[in-house]
Amino acid sequence: MDTATEKAPASHRDKAEALVSLRGIVKIYERGGEQLKILDGLDLEIAKGSYEALMGPSGSGKSTLLNLIAGLDRPTAGSIDIGGKRIDQLNESQLARWRADTIGFIFQSYNLMPVLTAVENVELPLLLTKVPSSERRQRAQTALRVVGLEDRMDHFPRQLSGGQEQRVAIARAIVNDPALIVADEPTGDLDRKSADDILGILEQLNRELGKTIVMVTHDPAAAERAKVIRRLDKGQLK
Amino acid sequence: MTLVGLAARNVLRNKFRAALTVAGVAVAIITFLLLRTVLWAWTAAADYAAKDRVVTRHKVTFIMTLPLSYAQSVRSLPQVKASTFCNWFGGKDPKHDKEFFGSLACDTETGFTVYDDMVVPPDVLDQWKHDAQGAIVGDVIAKKMNWKVGDRVTLQTGIYPKEGDWEFRISGIYQAKSKAVDRSTFIFHWKYLNDNLPANRKDQIGWIVSRVHDPSQAAGVGVAIDKVFDEKEIQTLSQDERAFNASFLASISAVLTAINIISVVILVIMALVLGNTIAMGVRERTNEYGVLKALGFSNKHVVMFIVVEAIVIGVAGGLLGLAIGYPFIEGGLGRFLEENMGSFFPYFKIDPRMSVLAMFLAVALAAAASVIPAISAARLKTVDALKRIA
Repeated sequence: MDTATEKAPASHRDKAEALVSLRGIVKIYERGGEQLKILDGLDLEIAKGSYEALMGPSGSGKSTLLNLIAGLDRPTAGSIDIGGKRIDQLNESQLARWRADTIGFIFQSYNLMPVLTAVENVELPLLLTKVPSSERRQRAQTALRVVGLEDRMDHFPRQLSGGQEQRVAIARAIVNDPALIVADEPTGDLDRKSADDILGILEQLNRELGKTIVMVTHDPAAAERAKVIRRLDKGQLK
Repeated sequence: MTLVGLAARNVLRNKFRAALTVAGVAVAIITFLLLRTVLWAWTAAADYAAKDRVVTRHKVTFIMTLPLSYAQSVRSLPQVKASTFCNWFGGKDPKHDKEFFGSLACDTETGFTVYDDMVVPPDVLDQWKHDAQGAIVGDVIAKKMNWKVGDRVTLQTGIYPKEGDWEFRISGIYQAKSKAVDRSTFIFHWKYLNDNLPANRKDQIGWIVSRVHDPSQAAGVGVAIDKVFDEKEIQTLSQDERAFNASFLASISAVLTAINIISVVILVIMALVLGNTIAMGVRERTNEYGVLKALGFSNKHVVMFIVVEAIVIGVAGGLLGLAIGYPFIEGGLGRFLEENMGSFFPYFKIDPRMSVLAMFLAVALAAAASVIPAISAARLKTVDALKRIA
């Protein structure tokens, strides 16, 4: 695979089933009457169970690509297949439903709801499911235990450190057992120690729970923790 | 945790702003209730007027008098069960010359029979009938002027000047049986008035009030009464009491309309302030709505979050408005107006239907005010919403 720095054994890679498949992706934005081509005929496959880092200079299209994979945005052209579903053909409400079922989000700024406690923040995505209320709470508590925050369940975000907030965000991302976790600069706002903790948890989720993770990062040290590093420049994977 | 619970919790995000907004809604509701109560109280005399009473007056104007003989003519009509007559005295107590109260000289034998919503115990009534200078006064004015049974009271009037003052003795106090009854009226014998007038003003009456056998035919009886005097020198105008009272209100209809409009304007202002507050909150939290949408919440969910938040503010403001408005309007201001302006506001209480309407409007307008910010937030693309920094 010439578009990525491959760290996994070739035999393992070849056998892996593609969870994410992008073909001929073009993304053009209009700004002030000018058309900006952010992604230009991009092809990408991400295997199930992979942990991939997307790197590249600012404006290279990393976040745009991540948004397309996560179903937050639509391509100008091309197809996006995630787990056998053409998400570029879904309407807004179908896409929202799909995201709830399939994607776990981790944001740079954690984006927790300040009025909710840690456990309630983690429970939030489950409100969209038919899981009974008592089970919702149990699942949220379990997710918080996975990220080592069992003693902070009833704390509000303002009572947590940045690293702890990001761990709550990770718990929220995994609570509905998504097929794919997308992380946009998950360590961007953290000190080195907290960043290492977060990257450790992501590694653990990938290794032990088999979660497929796509992470956008500027940080080479964070990217090094992924199995695959892909580099984007001027809308193309290099 | 529920979706609605989450939406409600957002209200307390900025406690100071939420408190100010709730207070604003409460003030608007209190003002609305107050203005509506003024309207209601003002029109209560018309709304609660006896249905079987017909008032006959001079056709030209209320202040012109009728011959006393007209009362007997009306009384003899078969449709009329009983009738009485009165004159507006326009009296003032020189010791309290700024206090306004109605003073009427009414026919002794029939006055309280026709005005049976002014309740006077039979023994008191009997005593009054035997005291030529006796007066029956309303409980509110009695309390206010500190008049007690047996007290001597002097009144002055510009309508019926007399050598020396008009002297009265309080014979009793009436209680009101109906909301339309002014509890501040001073009633005395028409004969006492008539006996003390110069010859050229004697035997003139202000108006005749008749009770009819069939209330549903009151309007028809009025026509029949007027027909009796059609060919006479002085013609009459007869109306059922409701219409008669309403004709007084017609003279202040512009004021009533203005109050009506202001009460609605207050609510519109409330809705605009609420809409601005909600829009401000939504603008600050655009990023959060982006996060919710990224997590899989739909546009409908976002609209619901914002509208429910507004409804919570509306409910809180409405309830606070009612909680403060009732004691303020009924206990404080209402009591003051009943005691001091009983002729205009004999019954100053909040119409319970208005409370329900006020509560409904607080909630409905809050919800309506949030619709535009809610739809704007829902329409925003998720990626754009996520880029917004609070």
